Amino acid sequence: MNKDIAIKVQNLVKNFGKGENLVKVIENASFEIKKGELVALIAPSGAGKTTLLMMIGCVQEPTSGEIWLGEEKVYDNKWLSKDTRKIRREKIGFIFQAHYLIPFLNIIENITLLPQVNGVSEKISKQKAMELLEYLEIADKAYNKSSQLSGGQNQRVAIARALANNPEIILADEPTAALDAQRSISVIKMLKKIAQEQNVAIITVTHDDRILPYFDKIMKIENRGIVFHELGEDKIL
Amino acid sequence: MINLAKRDIEHTLGKFIVTAMGVGMLLGIVLIMIGVYRGMMVDAEILLDDISADLWIVQENTLGPFAESSRVHQDMKDIIYVTEGIDKSEAMTFQNIQLPSPQKPVRVVAVGYDIYGSINPVNPNRLIAGRDLKNEHYEIVVTDKTGFKLDEKIKLGRNLYTVVGITHSTVSNGGDPLVYISLKDAQELQFLYSNKEIQNNEARGIKNSDSFMVNTIVARVKNGYDIDEVAKDIRKWQHKSVYTKEQQKEILTKNLIEKSAKQIGLFTAILVVVSTIIIALIIYTMTLEKMKEISIMKLMGLPNSLIISMIVKETLLLGIFAFIFGNIFAHLVYDRFPKRIVLEIPDAWGLFGVVIIASILASFVGVKKVISADPAAAIGG
Repeated sequence: MNKDIAIKVQNLVKNFGKGENLVKVIENASFEIKKGELVALIAPSGAGKTTLLMMIGCVQEPTSGEIWLGEEKVYDNKWLSKDTRKIRREKIGFIFQAHYLIPFLNIIENITLLPQVNGVSEKISKQKAMELLEYLEIADKAYNKSSQLSGGQNQRVAIARALANNPEIILADEPTAALDAQRSISVIKMLKKIAQEQNVAIITVTHDDRILPYFDKIMKIENRGIVFHELGEDKIL
Repeated sequence: MINLAKRDIEHTLGKFIVTAMGVGMLLGIVLIMIGVYRGMMVDAEILLDDISADLWIVQENTLGPFAESSRVHQDMKDIIYVTEGIDKSEAMTFQNIQLPSPQKPVRVVAVGYDIYGSINPVNPNRLIAGRDLKNEHYEIVVTDKTGFKLDEKIKLGRNLYTVVGITHSTVSNGGDPLVYISLKDAQELQFLYSNKEIQNNEARGIKNSDSFMVNTIVARVKNGYDIDEVAKDIRKWQHKSVYTKEQQKEILTKNLIEKSAKQIGLFTAILVVVSTIIIALIIYTMTLEKMKEISIMKLMGLPNSLIISMIVKETLLLGIFAFIFGNIFAHLVYDRFPKRIVLEIPDAWGLFGVVIIASILASFVGVKKVISADPAAAIGG
């Protein structure tokens, strides 16, 4: 497998229900996403964006197909590891619609929690968290609670949390949904910078057409399959 | 590693403390209920310990002065005294009376004893003011709980009695305050009819019984004699029921207190179950409030063990804090109860064990909720 590939999906199928109630959501989807790429995942509501994201994120089991995360094949018609949480813990970062920071932890604890579960010492995890906060220009808020930060600041903390375990992949579910246009663009620019500088593949589900020009690729679910569009094509905007 | 339970509690400290205080009050009531039982046990033994008799001689086929009505002639004291192995013997009466008081009548148990006798039921260690009885008539020693002061006059029957002494913490097995009067006064109060009634009875041909009756004879056995053997002799020759101190204690504790103890035990068990259910409900609600965060933690890959440990620790801390508040509450209010409450450390530790077990059981509802939390719920708003 090509070392530049962060995500590879082959003949992925996802059905819900059985018999007469069978609903086909994803059918024979195949695609590759390279490290350092920022990819938008678009589709009408109910087309399966979140389902696809959850399958890549080892949260929801596909019906069939194959998934590679980096060089590791994680799914081949069944999960190849019993502990899919470990895969998420070590390889994937998540960003959500809202920041969903844990309210009873301060900013730095929110960021260091996962690395500490992964066995990184408190000292090193804090050092790394401070570097991330400085990188995202909110180091001065390290010991505040999320309730003391603005929406934009919290979303940056959520990004720092997603990066804290040095993931190969970040899966972002409409990270700009709760932000105004200016802040949305600022977040996407930040994700692009992270993707390039940290060599991380980022898939972002979005409904926001205004931010699409900032992505490297647009991935669209069409007729239960995946279609890639180059930027600037009128049909996607 | 970050202590999630500690951080969560710190985040909602006020709510946590108020909840722990609420549960603590329930646990405090549990402690008080146990204290009521202990108090009954102590009360039951006070008079027995103060009199410190080896044998209680009572009317044949009765359980004695505290459990059943018993009448024995006073001269039985002398018959018992000359029995082989007896060192001292005294006649005593016990009767419930109501003392008139300007505030509220006080119900008491009056102990009548021979003030020149060899066994004195007034424990000098409990006498906190005044003196013991010195005159054969119209003197009374009262317990501080009755509210009477030294030299105060109390009307009993046809006569006025003067308070000459005050004792502390002397109560009957039923928890009523004790007062002490001379045997002659007690016999007059208990057995002597009024002059009019005597006249009336004589006119009707009814023979008036004499008043030289008592409720029990108490005796101490000489050193070297077997108490049970002496008791056996008295039973055989005097046709009386005889109980040793231990048997009398058993009558008081088992026969008289057993039902109350069972009632208190049942109340206590119900309160513990209610406390467990309340803790479980609180933990369930606290877990429900964190479901989004729990889903996110599971999605991020945090192991169940870490999240479950947070829930169990929080439940245990809630139980421990509630236990501490319960103890504080019980110690603040116990002496305001009309009857004796005895709070003992072993009982508190016993309750602590029950609280820990109850907390662990209560945490299961939160743990079940954690296990069932869907990490996918974190995605998609």
